Amino acid sequence: MSLVVDSIVKKFERFPALNGVSLTAPQGAFLALVGPSGSGKTTLLRILGGLEFPDSGSVHFADLNWLDVPARDRRAGFVFQQYALFKHMTVEKNIAFGLTVRAKKLRPPKEEIARRVEELLALVQLEGYNKRYPSQLSGGQKQRVALARALAIEPRMLLLDEPFGALDAKVRKELRGWLRAIHERMGITTVFVTHDQEEAFALADLVAVMNAGKIEQYGTPQDVRRAPKTPFVADFIEVQAGI
Amino acid sequence: MSAAGFRFRNPSALPGFGLSLGFTVFYLSVIVLIPIAALIVRPWEIGFSGFWNVISDPRVLAALRLSFGGAAIAAVINAVTGPIVAWVLVRYNFPGKRLLDALIDLPFALPTAVAGIALSQLYSANGWVGEPLSHLGIRIAYTPIGVIIALTFIGLPFVVRTLQPVLNDLSRDPEEAAATLGANRWQTITRVVLPSLMPALLTGATLAFARAVGEYGSVIFIAGNLPTVSEIAPLLIVIKLEQYDYAGAAAIGVVMLAASFAVILALNLLQNWIGKRR
Amino acid sequence: MKFRRYPTQDHPLSRIALSLIAIGVVTLFLVLPLATVFTEALRKGLGVAWEALDDPDARAAVRLTLITAAIAVPLNAVFGVAASWAIAKFDFKGKQFLTTLIDLPFSISPVVSGLIYVLIFGLQGWFGESLREANVKIIFAVPGIVLATIFITFPFVARELIPLMEDQGRDEEEAATSLGASGWDTFMRVTLPNIRWGLLYGVLLCNARAMGEFGAVSVVSGHIRGLTNTMPLHVEVLYNDYQFVGAFAVASLLALLALVTLVLKSLLEWRFADDIAATHRH
Repeated sequence: MSLVVDSIVKKFERFPALNGVSLTAPQGAFLALVGPSGSGKTTLLRILGGLEFPDSGSVHFADLNWLDVPARDRRAGFVFQQYALFKHMTVEKNIAFGLTVRAKKLRPPKEEIARRVEELLALVQLEGYNKRYPSQLSGGQKQRVALARALAIEPRMLLLDEPFGALDAKVRKELRGWLRAIHERMGITTVFVTHDQEEAFALADLVAVMNAGKIEQYGTPQDVRRAPKTPFVADFIEVQAGI
Repeated sequence: MSAAGFRFRNPSALPGFGLSLGFTVFYLSVIVLIPIAALIVRPWEIGFSGFWNVISDPRVLAALRLSFGGAAIAAVINAVTGPIVAWVLVRYNFPGKRLLDALIDLPFALPTAVAGIALSQLYSANGWVGEPLSHLGIRIAYTPIGVIIALTFIGLPFVVRTLQPVLNDLSRDPEEAAATLGANRWQTITRVVLPSLMPALLTGATLAFARAVGEYGSVIFIAGNLPTVSEIAPLLIVIKLEQYDYAGAAAIGVVMLAASFAVILALNLLQNWIGKRR
Repeated sequence: MKFRRYPTQDHPLSRIALSLIAIGVVTLFLVLPLATVFTEALRKGLGVAWEALDDPDARAAVRLTLITAAIAVPLNAVFGVAASWAIAKFDFKGKQFLTTLIDLPFSISPVVSGLIYVLIFGLQGWFGESLREANVKIIFAVPGIVLATIFITFPFVARELIPLMEDQGRDEEEAATSLGASGWDTFMRVTLPNIRWGLLYGVLLCNARAMGEFGAVSVVSGHIRGLTNTMPLHVEVLYNDYQFVGAFAVASLLALLALVTLVLKSLLEWRFADDIAATHRH
């Protein structure tokens, strides 16, 4: 059940977004894609989620040719940078969405869905927020609803695009520890994108430092920090640590 | 609160406030407000019972029903076709799209009398559309269906033009989110996209309805104007005026004016309600 | 590599079906009526159509339409600029209400718009008696037609300019004032250049409606051939006289006007998208 990404190439109209990207991660890994904007990390994440397709290369996950599985059948819980909550639905409707759109015979009964929503609300510490609309939530709360919504479909893979990007420093720190705890409890293969190397190193088991559509270095945070392979990685760590 | 208390306007460094506002209010009063006041005052010279007699006349009632009912049906038709047209114009690319897009405004630009005789000819028993339909036993011109066709024509751009910018600005994220959560395209459209278009759709349909209720030029040629069958309320005003029945004309006018105000009010409430929810 | 559909893309079959519906609706409701106007006008050849246009009554109708627009459009343009200056550049109580009032004529039936002037200036109107004694004719005469047209086209320029000027803010005018420019100079040299395309856009739509208005004008005109018939009214008279070719010939002139308006409008939207109101950018 490991994730194998092999020689992914993706060109947009004017620039190459991914230029032969390969990586392997074991089942249950917590993987960070880190790099400056335009390095291709979000494109790779979207390819994993089925929202974008590479020009060539392959992705294998859970013994499947992952690219042949349409987004809606992948059960890849995707958490969007701007949350992408459904504005016209309450918190509970948002969380239940992935269950209510299932075909009749696969859909859990109403009470089961309600129970699942309560569980998830407890997990993301938003008990009692069932009937709120997204507009009535703070940024951190929206982020947690988005995560609960992604977890509701019992994802095989969790994908997070700059999950803490729009939050202030204090909330960021809080949510980080908490995301790690959830990952530990569920054991889902998790990939998250960030431009903040400190965040990547603090959270992930594996870090892929990306630049200009390529992976500059891939390894554990300790390895990358101890022995930067390229001047870019050294510089990236240096510069960011200096801030 | 400052010592000044009530202040009509906030101080500004820019000149010309008195002149521009003064002219605005003066011109607005002379052209719009005073004449409307004249209309509101007029029917009551025949007393409330006289007013009621005019309004409860079966012919007047039938005309009001046709104007309001036809406008409502046309608004519903446009609320179905409008989103499809807007969707195609915003989301798809095909040759001739610009032309199609520019044509949408035709009912705004084409004089209503021209639209009226063209629709009448087109849907009459020897017109391009009316002829094939007449073989099927369907008559459109000179029936209430003709009225609805004309009102649909006049209302289409309101719905399309209200939806287009909203659709353009609509983020794709929620659609992608729905897909990753397992929704198929139909579920995504009906549960995620359409609800977020609803406010604009309601606004557009209301605008189309408001315009259609009072529409005259594009309707009277195709309607045939049979009393109590295909005679619209604005035409009845014209007929009453031709008979120098000013009070009667004004009475119908007041009813239509009240309806316009109700629509404006409903629109404002709608927009407020939407503003609060997002 | 095999074709893969993006999750935000519709199924090819739905794309085709929806496109066909859209094209069908536009054809049925917009293209065919437009085509009818021209084919009916030319049914008996260009010569017959031209005769209908060369007719003295038709010429009088064209003249009256041009005169009416020439009075109504500039007045409403000046009003639109004044109103948007007051509303966009200053904060005062009742601003929202004033904006609603300006939009009022849009939501009133054209026939009611004509009616209100008949009630004031008509024979049995408020001023009917005194006007008759002074031998001034407003209803069933040109002044009434102009008044009704002004009413109908009242909001066009203002509603283009208000959002545009609100968007542009007050910084530039305040800068000009602080540099010592007079109010007139500030307006002519700073504001007007910023709003000129929006103003032109509003004037364009205002003019199209002024020349094409039918319902309101019909009520106040009296349909006197050669005297109080505008082009749309002339179309009606000819049509009701069963002079179909003539009616459609005059109508095709108006349809051409509408097409020119649409072309110019699209051109403005495309070329000066940033300089006209935000609502028209698409």
